Amino acid sequence: MPVVTPLLALIIFTAGAAAGSLGALLGIGGGVFLVPLLNLGLGFPIGVAAAISLATVIATSSTVTAAKAGKHLMNFRFGMMLEVATAAGSVLGGLTVQLIAQSHLQQLFGIVTGLVALLTVSRVNRRNVITDAGLDPGILGGRFHDDETGATVVYQIKRVPLALGASFIAGNVSSLLGIGGGVIKVPVLNGWCGMPLRAAAATSAFMIGVTATGGVIIYYVTGQLLPAAAAAAVLGVQLGSWGALHVSRRLPVKALKLLLAAVLAIVAVLMFIRGLQ
Amino acid sequence: MKTGDANLERLIGRVLRVGVTASSVCLAVGLLALFSWPGASSGLLQAGILILILTPTARVVLSIVEYAAARDWKFTLLASIVLLELVGGALAAVVFHRRL
Repeated sequence: MPVVTPLLALIIFTAGAAAGSLGALLGIGGGVFLVPLLNLGLGFPIGVAAAISLATVIATSSTVTAAKAGKHLMNFRFGMMLEVATAAGSVLGGLTVQLIAQSHLQQLFGIVTGLVALLTVSRVNRRNVITDAGLDPGILGGRFHDDETGATVVYQIKRVPLALGASFIAGNVSSLLGIGGGVIKVPVLNGWCGMPLRAAAATSAFMIGVTATGGVIIYYVTGQLLPAAAAAAVLGVQLGSWGALHVSRRLPVKALKLLLAAVLAIVAVLMFIRGLQ
Repeated sequence: MKTGDANLERLIGRVLRVGVTASSVCLAVGLLALFSWPGASSGLLQAGILILILTPTARVVLSIVEYAAARDWKFTLLASIVLLELVGGALAAVVFHRRL
């Protein structure tokens, strides 16, 4: 395993900034880019790379949630309910990952990243949820003011068991691979459970802090979380996602998503091939 | 949405902002100190990592307290289960790690 020298810390910081900005532009977090950079690029074992990446997921979740608090976009009640499933998934994932061979994790990473790339291409046009301002949101639903349209959006939650199942799997994959898991939850919450996309994304961003904590606590206890490397990555990702959010309004979103999907597909193939060797 | 929820949202936002800012400062200063003075203690780095990990946990604890104060027992229970899962995972990892 590489020793974290000042030069390596600077490289990790830069990798974090690149992954953080790409992740923020794509809206899926930086983990899918950071883990391959650390594992394939810098030679950290995949468990150590995942632990570092999960630390950055926590920081991103805290920052995004703090910034969005007060806008009612995040559905705290439904999020808290889903956290019961996602935390169980991430804790079980964190415990079982200790028993899985690095090559199998790389193959799994390749498969999941490949699916994310496909999903990104297929969801270039988002699915709108039909809402009615006179609707009763119930105990789990929500109500928020949409800045884009100027309307008040009200929604009810449908198919709670499906949302719980997707959250459990998202938590599991999060711990195994070091990603946030929003790539699994957001399409399910938006496509099948009645949540408008922005509410689903904000609620997922809120939840992944707890999801990543469930995994990272285990990596921390087993000594796989390297403090200096994690510090450099966390600071880099914070800078990268902050920068991306300030330039993203001026960029062509559709072309950008297709470009990033292509990058993800390459990452998927590289990780899968390395897993076969 | 109940009126107490907006209050909880603001409180949680504040806790997360303070936590992530404190940990980022500790991590930045700790990293610079580690490389500026070889042999320097990694205490600040460790503190930064711990604050980072404990921030979402603190948010869960805060939710338990707020839901209990509002006598919303269903959500007090759900938040408590989340906390138990996190603590249970850490304890299981300690036992698991010793046996390796």
